[in-house]
Amino acid sequence: MSFKKKFTPKRKFCKFCAHKDYPLDYKRPDILRDFINERGKIIARRITGTCAKHQRRLTTEIKRSRQMALLLYTAVHSSEVQKKMG
Amino acid sequence: MRKYETLVLLNPEMPAESSQALIGGFTGVVERENGQILVVDDWGMKDLAYPVRKHMRGHYVRLEYAAQGNTVAELERNIRISDAVYKFITVQLDDAFEQGAAEPAAAEPVAAKPAVAEPAAEPAAAEPAAAEPAAEGGES
Repeated sequence: MSFKKKFTPKRKFCKFCAHKDYPLDYKRPDILRDFINERGKIIARRITGTCAKHQRRLTTEIKRSRQMALLLYTAVHSSEVQKKMG
Repeated sequence: MRKYETLVLLNPEMPAESSQALIGGFTGVVERENGQILVVDDWGMKDLAYPVRKHMRGHYVRLEYAAQGNTVAELERNIRISDAVYKFITVQLDDAFEQGAAEPAAAEPVAAKPAVAEPAAEPAAAEPAAAEPAAEGGES
Protein backbone atom coordinates (compact mmCIF):
# COMPACT_ATOMS: atom_id res chain seq x y z
CA MET A 1 0.00 0.00 0.00
CA SER A 2 1.54 3.25 -1.03
CA PHE A 3 0.20 6.60 0.01
CA LYS A 4 2.30 8.65 -2.34
CA LYS A 5 1.25 7.24 -5.67
CA LYS A 6 -2.48 6.78 -5.94
CA PHE A 7 -2.38 6.60 -9.70
CA THR A 8 0.27 6.48 -12.31
CA PRO A 9 -0.44 8.90 -15.14
CA LYS A 10 -0.49 7.34 -18.56
CA ARG A 11 2.90 7.54 -20.17
CA LYS A 12 3.00 10.34 -22.73
CA PHE A 13 4.44 9.76 -26.16
CA CYS A 14 5.11 11.77 -29.27
CA LYS A 15 2.27 11.08 -31.67
CA PHE A 16 4.34 12.02 -34.69
CA CYS A 17 7.09 9.57 -33.71
CA ALA A 18 4.65 6.78 -32.91
CA HIS A 19 2.81 7.03 -36.22
CA LYS A 20 5.24 7.80 -39.00
CA ASP A 21 2.49 8.62 -41.49
CA TYR A 22 0.64 10.92 -39.09
CA PRO A 23 0.60 14.13 -41.10
CA LEU A 24 2.23 17.18 -39.57
CA ASP A 25 1.10 19.77 -42.05
CA TYR A 26 -0.33 23.28 -41.99
CA LYS A 27 -3.04 22.06 -44.38
CA ARG A 28 -4.46 19.78 -41.68
CA PRO A 29 -5.96 22.14 -39.09
CA ASP A 30 -8.09 19.25 -37.79
CA ILE A 31 -4.94 17.56 -36.47
CA LEU A 32 -3.18 20.75 -35.39
CA ARG A 33 -6.25 21.64 -33.33
CA ASP A 34 -5.29 18.88 -30.86
CA PHE A 35 -2.15 20.84 -30.01
CA ILE A 36 -3.73 24.21 -29.26
CA ASN A 37 -6.03 25.06 -26.38
CA GLU A 38 -9.47 26.59 -26.72
CA ARG A 39 -7.93 30.07 -26.66
CA GLY A 40 -5.77 29.14 -29.62
CA LYS A 41 -2.50 28.96 -27.68
CA ILE A 42 0.03 26.29 -28.58
CA ILE A 43 0.16 23.66 -25.82
CA ALA A 44 3.58 23.04 -24.26
CA ARG A 45 5.22 19.79 -25.14
CA ARG A 46 5.58 18.85 -21.48
CA ILE A 47 1.81 18.48 -21.54
CA THR A 48 1.21 16.94 -24.95
CA GLY A 49 4.32 14.74 -24.85
CA THR A 50 5.50 15.74 -28.32
CA CYS A 51 9.23 15.31 -28.82
CA ALA A 52 11.44 18.37 -29.30
CA LYS A 53 12.02 17.76 -32.99
CA HIS A 54 8.35 17.48 -33.80
CA GLN A 55 7.32 20.32 -31.48
CA ARG A 56 9.59 22.66 -33.43
CA ARG A 57 7.94 21.64 -36.68
CA LEU A 58 4.52 21.71 -35.06
CA THR A 59 4.84 25.35 -34.01
CA THR A 60 5.80 26.45 -37.51
CA GLU A 61 2.96 24.45 -39.05
CA ILE A 62 0.47 25.93 -36.59
CA LYS A 63 1.70 29.41 -37.38
CA ARG A 64 1.44 28.79 -41.12
CA SER A 65 -2.05 27.48 -40.63
CA ARG A 66 -2.98 30.60 -38.69
CA GLN A 67 -1.69 32.82 -41.47
CA MET A 68 -3.99 31.12 -43.94
CA ALA A 69 -7.03 31.47 -41.63
CA LEU A 70 -7.24 27.71 -41.21
CA LEU A 71 -6.57 28.02 -37.49
CA LEU A 72 -7.48 30.73 -35.04
CA TYR A 73 -5.01 33.21 -33.55
CA THR A 74 -7.29 33.89 -30.62
CA ALA A 75 -10.80 32.94 -29.58
CA VAL A 76 -11.48 36.26 -27.84
CA HIS A 77 -10.62 39.51 -29.59
CA SER A 78 -9.74 42.52 -27.48
CA SER A 79 -12.22 44.67 -29.44
CA GLU A 80 -15.04 42.33 -28.41
CA VAL A 81 -13.94 42.34 -24.78
CA GLN A 82 -13.99 46.12 -24.73
CA LYS A 83 -17.46 46.13 -26.25
CA LYS A 84 -18.75 43.88 -23.47
CA MET A 85 -17.17 45.99 -20.75
CA GLY A 86 -18.42 49.31 -22.15
CA MET B 1 14.40 22.69 -59.89
CA ARG B 2 12.61 22.49 -56.60
CA LYS B 3 9.13 21.47 -55.68
CA TYR B 4 6.90 24.15 -54.19
CA GLU B 5 3.31 24.55 -53.26
CA THR B 6 1.30 27.75 -53.02
CA LEU B 7 -2.00 27.94 -51.21
CA VAL B 8 -4.13 30.94 -52.11
CA LEU B 9 -7.27 32.20 -50.43
CA LEU B 10 -9.57 33.81 -52.97
CA ASN B 11 -12.48 36.20 -52.64
CA PRO B 12 -15.55 34.03 -51.88
CA GLU B 13 -17.86 36.28 -53.86
CA MET B 14 -15.95 35.91 -57.08
CA PRO B 15 -17.77 33.99 -59.85
CA ALA B 16 -16.33 30.57 -60.68
CA GLU B 17 -15.19 31.42 -64.20
CA SER B 18 -13.17 34.45 -63.12
CA SER B 19 -11.47 32.51 -60.32
CA GLN B 20 -10.61 29.81 -62.85
CA ALA B 21 -9.19 32.45 -65.15
CA LEU B 22 -7.15 33.82 -62.26
CA ILE B 23 -5.71 30.41 -61.39
CA GLY B 24 -5.06 29.82 -65.07
CA GLY B 25 -3.08 33.04 -65.08
CA PHE B 26 -0.97 31.83 -62.16
CA THR B 27 -0.24 28.49 -63.78
CA GLY B 28 0.67 30.42 -66.93
CA VAL B 29 3.23 32.41 -64.96
CA VAL B 30 4.89 29.22 -63.71
CA GLU B 31 4.94 27.67 -67.16
CA ARG B 32 6.30 30.85 -68.74
CA GLU B 33 9.25 30.67 -66.33
CA ASN B 34 9.98 27.07 -67.43
CA GLY B 35 8.28 25.61 -64.38
CA GLN B 36 6.04 22.59 -64.37
CA ILE B 37 2.57 22.51 -62.82
CA LEU B 38 2.01 19.22 -61.02
CA VAL B 39 -1.31 19.59 -59.23
CA VAL B 40 -4.06 22.20 -59.14
CA ASP B 41 -6.05 21.28 -56.07
CA ASP B 42 -9.30 23.20 -55.63
CA TRP B 43 -10.51 22.92 -52.04
CA GLY B 44 -13.66 24.90 -52.75
CA MET B 45 -15.43 27.01 -50.15
CA LYS B 46 -14.24 26.60 -46.58
CA ASP B 47 -15.12 28.32 -43.33
CA LEU B 48 -12.37 30.58 -42.04
CA ALA B 49 -11.09 30.58 -38.48
CA TYR B 50 -11.40 34.34 -38.31
CA PRO B 51 -12.91 36.99 -40.61
CA VAL B 52 -10.71 38.04 -43.52
CA ARG B 53 -11.82 41.30 -45.10
CA LYS B 54 -15.15 40.82 -43.34
CA HIS B 55 -15.79 37.45 -44.98
CA MET B 56 -16.18 34.33 -42.88
CA ARG B 57 -15.82 31.99 -45.85
CA GLY B 58 -13.14 31.67 -48.45
CA HIS B 59 -12.20 29.80 -51.59
CA TYR B 60 -8.91 27.91 -51.27
CA VAL B 61 -6.86 26.71 -54.21
CA ARG B 62 -3.57 24.86 -53.87
CA LEU B 63 -0.96 24.85 -56.62
CA GLU B 64 1.82 22.31 -56.62
CA TYR B 65 4.66 22.92 -59.04
CA ALA B 66 8.32 22.39 -59.75
CA ALA B 67 10.26 25.47 -60.64
CA GLN B 68 13.32 27.60 -60.04
CA GLY B 69 13.46 29.84 -56.99
CA ASN B 70 13.00 33.06 -58.95
CA THR B 71 9.75 31.70 -60.39
CA VAL B 72 8.28 31.80 -56.91
CA ALA B 73 9.13 35.48 -56.62
CA GLU B 74 7.51 36.15 -60.00
CA LEU B 75 4.40 34.17 -59.07
CA GLU B 76 4.07 35.96 -55.74
CA ARG B 77 4.46 39.31 -57.47
CA ASN B 78 1.52 38.40 -59.73
CA ILE B 79 -0.50 37.18 -56.75
CA ARG B 80 0.07 40.47 -54.94
CA ILE B 81 -1.16 42.45 -57.93
CA SER B 82 -4.50 40.66 -58.16
CA ASP B 83 -7.13 42.06 -55.81
CA ALA B 84 -9.08 38.81 -55.51
CA VAL B 85 -6.37 36.94 -53.57
CA TYR B 86 -6.82 37.66 -49.89
CA LYS B 87 -4.05 35.47 -48.51
CA PHE B 88 -1.38 33.19 -49.86
CA ILE B 89 1.49 31.07 -48.61
CA THR B 90 4.30 29.32 -50.48
CA VAL B 91 6.06 26.32 -49.00
CA GLN B 92 8.98 24.36 -50.39
CA LEU B 93 8.04 20.70 -50.53
CA ASP B 94 11.16 19.11 -51.91
CA ASP B 95 14.73 20.25 -52.40
CA ALA B 96 15.29 18.33 -55.62
CA PHE B 97 12.91 17.44 -58.36
CA GLU B 98 13.57 14.96 -61.18
CA GLN B 99 11.79 15.65 -64.40
CA GLY B 100 10.68 12.16 -65.36
CA ALA B 101 9.99 10.19 -62.21
CA ALA B 102 8.24 12.87 -60.21
CA GLU B 103 4.99 13.06 -62.11
CA PRO B 104 3.24 9.90 -60.84
CA ALA B 105 4.84 10.40 -57.42
CA ALA B 106 3.50 13.93 -57.19
CA ALA B 107 -0.06 12.81 -57.84
CA GLU B 108 0.13 10.14 -55.16
CA PRO B 109 0.28 12.18 -51.90
CA VAL B 110 -2.88 14.05 -52.83
CA ALA B 111 -4.77 10.85 -53.43
CA ALA B 112 -3.34 9.26 -50.29
CA LYS B 113 -4.33 12.09 -48.00
CA PRO B 114 -7.90 11.07 -47.11
CA ALA B 115 -6.72 7.51 -46.43
CA VAL B 116 -4.17 8.79 -43.92
CA ALA B 117 -6.81 10.75 -42.10
CA GLU B 118 -8.75 7.69 -41.02
CA PRO B 119 -6.22 5.94 -38.73
CA ALA B 120 -4.92 9.30 -37.55
CA ALA B 121 -8.27 10.47 -36.22
CA GLU B 122 -8.55 7.84 -33.53
CA PRO B 123 -5.35 8.41 -31.49
CA ALA B 124 -5.89 12.15 -31.85
CA ALA B 125 -9.21 11.93 -30.06
CA ALA B 126 -7.83 9.77 -27.28
CA GLU B 127 -4.85 11.93 -26.45
CA PRO B 128 -6.30 15.18 -25.00
CA ALA B 129 -8.15 13.28 -22.29
CA ALA B 130 -4.98 11.46 -21.36
CA ALA B 131 -2.96 14.65 -21.40
CA GLU B 132 -5.13 16.49 -18.86
CA PRO B 133 -4.57 14.46 -15.69
CA ALA B 134 -0.93 14.06 -16.58
CA ALA B 135 -0.51 17.82 -16.48
CA GLU B 136 -0.97 18.09 -12.71
CA GLY B 137 1.03 15.00 -11.85
CA GLY B 138 3.83 15.72 -14.28
CA GLU B 139 5.87 17.99 -12.02
CA SER B 140 6.26 15.74 -9.00
